[in-house]
Amino acid sequence: MHLVKEWLQRPYVRRILWITVAITAVIIALSFVMVAFMNQSGGPASSIMDEIEKTMFVLTIACAPLMAATLAVLTYSWWGGWGSVAATDAPTEDGPGIKTNGVAVVTWITICSLLAGFLVVWGLVELATITSSSYGSVPANQQPNSVKPVDVNVTAQQWLWSFEYPDSGKITSSVLVLPVNVPAYFNVTSLDVVHSFWVVEEGVKIDANPGAITNTGFTPTKLGTFNVRCAELCGLHHAYMETQVKVVTQEQFNSWIREQGGNKTS
Amino acid sequence: MSTAVAIHEEAHVPQPKQVGRPGGFLRRTNFLTALISGVVTAGVFWVVTDKITTAVAGAGATNSMALPSGLNINITMMYIGWVIGFMAGIGAFAGPIRWFLGHDLTHADAEYMAGKDMGREKFWKFTTDHKVVGIQYLVVTLILFGFGGLLAMLIRTELGATWTEVFNPNFYNSIIGTHGIVMVIAMIIVISGPIGNFIVPIMCGARDMAFPRLNALSIWLLVAAVPPLVSNLLMGGIRDGWTVYQPLADQAPIGMIGYQICIITFAFSTGIASVNLITTIVRMRAAGMTWSRTPILVYGILGSSIMGLVWFPMYQYSQILALSDRTLLTSFFVPASGGSVWLYENLFWLLGHPEVYVIVIPATAGMLEYLPVFVRKPLFSYRLAVAGIFGVVGLSAVVWVHHMYMTGWAPQSNYPFMLSTEMISIPFSFLVLVVLGTMWRGKPWKRLPMMAVYAVVWNKVIGGITGVFLSDTPVDQYMHGSMFVVAHFHYMLMGAGLFGAMGVTAYFFPKMIGRYLDEFWGSVGFWTAFAGFQVTFMSMFVAGLQGMPRRVLQFDSLFNISNWISTIGAYIIGIGMLIFLYAIIESWRNGIPAPDNPWGGKTLENFTTTPVPHENFPVLPVVTSGPYDFGTPDPYELADDAIMQQTEGAEKVSAQS
Amino acid sequence: MSDTTTNSSVESALSPTTGEPVEVTGARDKLGVWMIIVSCTTGTIALLVSYAYLWSLNVNGAWAPTPGHANWAPVWPFWVIFTAMFIATLIMWNGYRGLSKGNVGGMKSAALLSSLLLLAAFIGQVVQIATFPFGPADGGYASAVLWLAIANAIWLFVAIFLATAIFNRTRAGRVAQENPNHARLVAMFMTYLCVASFLGCVFTTVMQESPNTNSPPFGTFSQ
Repeated sequence: MHLVKEWLQRPYVRRILWITVAITAVIIALSFVMVAFMNQSGGPASSIMDEIEKTMFVLTIACAPLMAATLAVLTYSWWGGWGSVAATDAPTEDGPGIKTNGVAVVTWITICSLLAGFLVVWGLVELATITSSSYGSVPANQQPNSVKPVDVNVTAQQWLWSFEYPDSGKITSSVLVLPVNVPAYFNVTSLDVVHSFWVVEEGVKIDANPGAITNTGFTPTKLGTFNVRCAELCGLHHAYMETQVKVVTQEQFNSWIREQGGNKTS
Repeated sequence: MSTAVAIHEEAHVPQPKQVGRPGGFLRRTNFLTALISGVVTAGVFWVVTDKITTAVAGAGATNSMALPSGLNINITMMYIGWVIGFMAGIGAFAGPIRWFLGHDLTHADAEYMAGKDMGREKFWKFTTDHKVVGIQYLVVTLILFGFGGLLAMLIRTELGATWTEVFNPNFYNSIIGTHGIVMVIAMIIVISGPIGNFIVPIMCGARDMAFPRLNALSIWLLVAAVPPLVSNLLMGGIRDGWTVYQPLADQAPIGMIGYQICIITFAFSTGIASVNLITTIVRMRAAGMTWSRTPILVYGILGSSIMGLVWFPMYQYSQILALSDRTLLTSFFVPASGGSVWLYENLFWLLGHPEVYVIVIPATAGMLEYLPVFVRKPLFSYRLAVAGIFGVVGLSAVVWVHHMYMTGWAPQSNYPFMLSTEMISIPFSFLVLVVLGTMWRGKPWKRLPMMAVYAVVWNKVIGGITGVFLSDTPVDQYMHGSMFVVAHFHYMLMGAGLFGAMGVTAYFFPKMIGRYLDEFWGSVGFWTAFAGFQVTFMSMFVAGLQGMPRRVLQFDSLFNISNWISTIGAYIIGIGMLIFLYAIIESWRNGIPAPDNPWGGKTLENFTTTPVPHENFPVLPVVTSGPYDFGTPDPYELADDAIMQQTEGAEKVSAQS
Repeated sequence: MSDTTTNSSVESALSPTTGEPVEVTGARDKLGVWMIIVSCTTGTIALLVSYAYLWSLNVNGAWAPTPGHANWAPVWPFWVIFTAMFIATLIMWNGYRGLSKGNVGGMKSAALLSSLLLLAAFIGQVVQIATFPFGPADGGYASAVLWLAIANAIWLFVAIFLATAIFNRTRAGRVAQENPNHARLVAMFMTYLCVASFLGCVFTTVMQESPNTNSPPFGTFSQ
């Protein structure tokens, strides 16, 4: 232990640790900036998007010290903390012959492994969480929710989205309308090439594959109009393959269904 | 046991009968004959195929268009004709034919083919000398980067002109895909090609690679593969990203066939090159060069070659089967007839992921190779570096599904693949520790290769953290298919890969070319490009966070500002890269001549003359120590020892009294 | 400087181009061929995986050949072709073993016989492809089997080249008791081809009807 204390007394170690602290603070500040950009278009609009943003914070803060330490050593070396030899000169002597350092190696590997382990565990738990609140691998008829979910069949084709509400007399629409705070489950397919159904501010995405049906889902928590974009290159007008998702109150949703010619079945 | 044979002994080796003049058929072949032969054969194959498909189309057919895939079949056979004709015209078939007939190469044949005493002519021929092949790879790589870079400028121009469509969407979709695949190919070969071929055999203390004729074959197959790819833009384009996902690729016009033929050919080139590099490294290291004295660059190229060798056929077959769907009307990837898009995606990404390590590992190993020379300290924890390289090589095989989190292929598989993807960061971290440990308490010699290390580690840190984000499936649910992914992989492949390759090239340039790369203009180009790179791709992260999808030429006005900034940054990159190119060309012609040991290194290539003689070493070297034997005793350790001795001494004294 | 007689002693054959003992160049060649086999194995796996994956998914119910005008391929031709390859490989190994003991004539006839057997297998493979009871556009099974067969045909063609080359080279004295390596390498490669072919036979024999009987019709959401 006294060796570690002695090591910490060395001037360059102290300076590098201070630089590490400063950079860590900057990285943590940047995580807020990142999430702010993610919310620029009105999100987060579902619990899934909340979880995603929380995860962005957690991942960044967890990795910040290690990133900062790396950049600190880099900075210290670059700024000549240990001296330097100008490009116009040539080195005249060798540096210290440090072939390895058992303590450093073990410490580094331990920290990296613990960090990786934490990231994995956090990620697995998060994935299970958002899967349980969306279709994911759980079929609709086994949801424990008390609110009856809205089922939507999403058909992607070159280059538009169509949404069908099978429970409401199979009405179709090119705009996705959903009632707030009601889980929505999506069966997604494609009529031609691979598209990707991305409901941006709700934080869900699933590919629309020809010849297969994929599933996703979310519960919108915010009223408003948000974006649906295609996230997989699908040809000429891929850039224009966008539509909107309108999250409205239950009454507005019911009247919209009636306007479209459907009947609310429950 | 040394198998070194000095030159003068070879005259006594019994020779097979000399068939014709030394070199035989290869005396008459060169790039020009290959071009002519390729074009002529392409034409012949077209005509013959047209006749056959017209006949198959049945009575009343006037040309092959009567057959549904007739045009596709014609174009495919035309390109196949080009490749076969080109290779025949460069003399590639002479080797197998001579082997078949038992007319083995004599020593005189081998010397001719190695370009002994041949002057500039040897760079245009099927030359087996690994040094010539290395230079050929360097030139081809520069051309590919130039073309890919031009396409990048076009892409950024379109994205910057937010008020209009500069190109029509089909052309735009084609140039992003072509830019992608050209850059990927260029990055795969940028270090294994020039440095792997030129330097690695010398660094191992050998006279040439294990299979010299395969060496020439691999470069000329690459050359043959390029025109089909580039010609796609003249034939309707590929209208798809570099991943050419099916079934969209099936909708593309005949330009797609150029892509497919290019990849099928390039896969052979890469496979052959990998076989050569692996065998050379494993079997031809100098006497005394045990595995614990082998330079880390050699390990890096070995690891990269293993990955390429094992996984490239997956990509190759994905394109063969796609081509089959197009020409034979099979349905591997046509869902209505029993095909599966997920099959394509799996085959693609089974290579697609190891491929990024094929790109990053040599660049990283190259920097680990020369960093000790510039701080004059040993490589920190050499064994950890080797473990890191092979940890990445091993784990790279089991992470590919993270490119497919959002495909809905097998949602349960997202869990184990998220685990494996996080795990691969651990061996990667070994390599970071080795860099930091080598840099620690060292006095950097501020030449361009050293400065490149700082640039690359910075880029790696940013690429790394954004990779952590993307590896997390929930976050990927937002980020996949957005510009965030594009910025991430540019930070890794270009930021760490390309800028690393520029540093490694600057380091080995004196040994390969005989002159130093111009320090001033090289640095100006490098740092200009680096500054532009930060501007372009940091801004691109913002666009991705805001929700901009990738591969779109028009978008929501929310993303305008970040795209304007990225475009300005891209033009700065372009200027910087042009300056760097100028530095390369000017130094090649008029640079400061380099001595035998340009940087004071301790690896074997520094113990032969510059320029390197034809046989590499007059007498093959015997290695007696590791390559990173720098360093004076550590003053802190000496102080510690002194304190310990004093303490023990004091204890002894007090024990005695 | 040029000499038409090959070297005299059994132990010290030297490579004419580099002057090294053929054991050294032979060790390199062996590693090279192993690497090629590794790479080819991935290719074989790609085709087998394609077969198995499409079989398991049965997308749009279109795995099986369209009933009415197409049918499963008969199984016996696959095995006959494989058997020919297998015997050819055994003969080649036998010839190599004899050569190591000095039987040059045995090696020559082994290589010749091998080549002829491979040629028969190749012709058989081409005939099989031409007489498949389906066309390339007849669904997933048709596509996958067709390409297993095409790949086999292509590699058979390469094998014929290699085996005939060994025959030629043995006649010319390039493959001899003191320098038998190339025969061994060709036999190694032929062994790999047998393994790949065997796996193909197993897949096409055992995996015909798809286990997935309720894949959703294309473009709809009903089961």
